[in-house]
Amino acid sequence: MRDYWASKLFFDLQNPAAANEYRADRKTVLDRYPLKPEVRAAVEADDVAYLSRLVNPYQLRFYFFAAGMSEEDFLRRIRSADGPKDAAHG
Amino acid sequence: MAKLVGVYAASHGPLIIRNWQNLKPADQESVSAAFSELGRRVNAARPDVLIVISPDHWINFFINNLPSICVGVGEVNEGPNEPWMKDFPHREIPGHPRLAEHILNTALAHDFDPSVSHRLILDHGFCIPLWKARIDPLPAIVPVILNDIEPPFPTVKRCYAWGEMLAAAIASYPEDLRVAVMGTGGLSHSIGEPTMGLIEEDFDRDCLGLFESGEERPLIDFLTQRLPTIGNGASEIRNWIAAHGAAGGAGFELINYKAIPELYVGFGVAAWNLAAPAKARRSLAKSKRPTSRR
Repeated sequence: MRDYWASKLFFDLQNPAAANEYRADRKTVLDRYPLKPEVRAAVEADDVAYLSRLVNPYQLRFYFFAAGMSEEDFLRRIRSADGPKDAAHG
Repeated sequence: MAKLVGVYAASHGPLIIRNWQNLKPADQESVSAAFSELGRRVNAARPDVLIVISPDHWINFFINNLPSICVGVGEVNEGPNEPWMKDFPHREIPGHPRLAEHILNTALAHDFDPSVSHRLILDHGFCIPLWKARIDPLPAIVPVILNDIEPPFPTVKRCYAWGEMLAAAIASYPEDLRVAVMGTGGLSHSIGEPTMGLIEEDFDRDCLGLFESGEERPLIDFLTQRLPTIGNGASEIRNWIAAHGAAGGAGFELINYKAIPELYVGFGVAAWNLAAPAKARRSLAKSKRPTSRR
C-alpha cells in the first residue's frame, strides 16, 4: 500500500523549481501536504528505510536525489533498510 | 499495406547519460558499439514509423491514474523533461495518429483495453535508445507505455500477446508504411531497493538464452516465476517480451550484453531476424481485424 501524500510530494519534486524551493525551505513545502505525523517525521529525518515501505522505489530514489542526499549516502541507507520487498518487485 | 521491417530492444538506463564519464573506456566502447549497430540496423530498415514500448518513469502518470498500457495517438509528443536529458536533440517528436488509432482499434478487437493519450512526454526510457543509436532521420514515433514500474503489472503472457497484437495491427493497416517496433529497458537492475546496484548476470544470461531459443512458453514461464524474485528494474523485460511477440517469437539476435556496475544494469541490445518463421504473427494477422475506426 502506498502512502498517497508522500508519493505526491515525491512526484511533485520532479519539477526542478519545486525541488529548488524544497531544498531552500523544506518546512514551507511540507506544510502544503497533509502528511501523517509519522510520515512527516520520517521525511524530516531523511529516514530512507521507513519511507521505502510507503512509496514506489523509483520515487524514493528520485526524492532523495532531488533533496540533495549523496548517492553514497542513499545507497548506504537503502542497503541497510530492513523493509519488505514485496511491494516493489516485478 | 503496412509492413513490419524491424524489431529491436535496448536498455535505457539513465546512467548511460548521467554517469557516462565514469564508465571504463572498454565499457564506453562496448555500449557505443552496441548502440551504433542498433542505429545502423534501424536506419537500414528505413521505418516510416517506430513503435516504441517503454515504461513511464513517473513523468506522465501517478498513482491517482496509472494505466497498464497507454497508446500515444497524438500528432506530436514532447521530448524528455528530465533536466539531464536537456541535450536530447528533439523537443517535439512527431507521432502517427492514423496508425496509432488503428493499433487501438486492433487492440480492442483483441480484447485489450488500453488507455489513450493525445500528448505524452517521452522520457528517457523512450529517448535514450533513439539518441544513443543516432537514428536519423527520426521516424514518426508511436509511443506505447507499458507499466513496468508500479505493481500490479501486466502479466508476462499478456505482454507477449500485446506484441502479437501489434504485429497483427501492422499487417492489417491499409496504408503503405514501413513500421518497426522497439522495446526498451532492462535487463536486470534494482532501483531504490536494498539490492540497488545489484546486477543478476546469471538471470540475464538465462533469460537471453530463452529469447534465443524461440520457444515462448519456457521464456514466459521463466519470467513469470523469476521477475518477482529479483530487482525491480528487470520488470522492464516485459517490453522485450512485447517486442518478441511482435516478431512472432522467433529470430532473436543478441547484439550485445554486458553487466556494467557503473550503469546499475545488465546492459543489452538486441534485434530480431524477421526472416525467421513467425507462425503466430501470420495467424493473428488473419483474424480479429478491427471492424470500425474510432
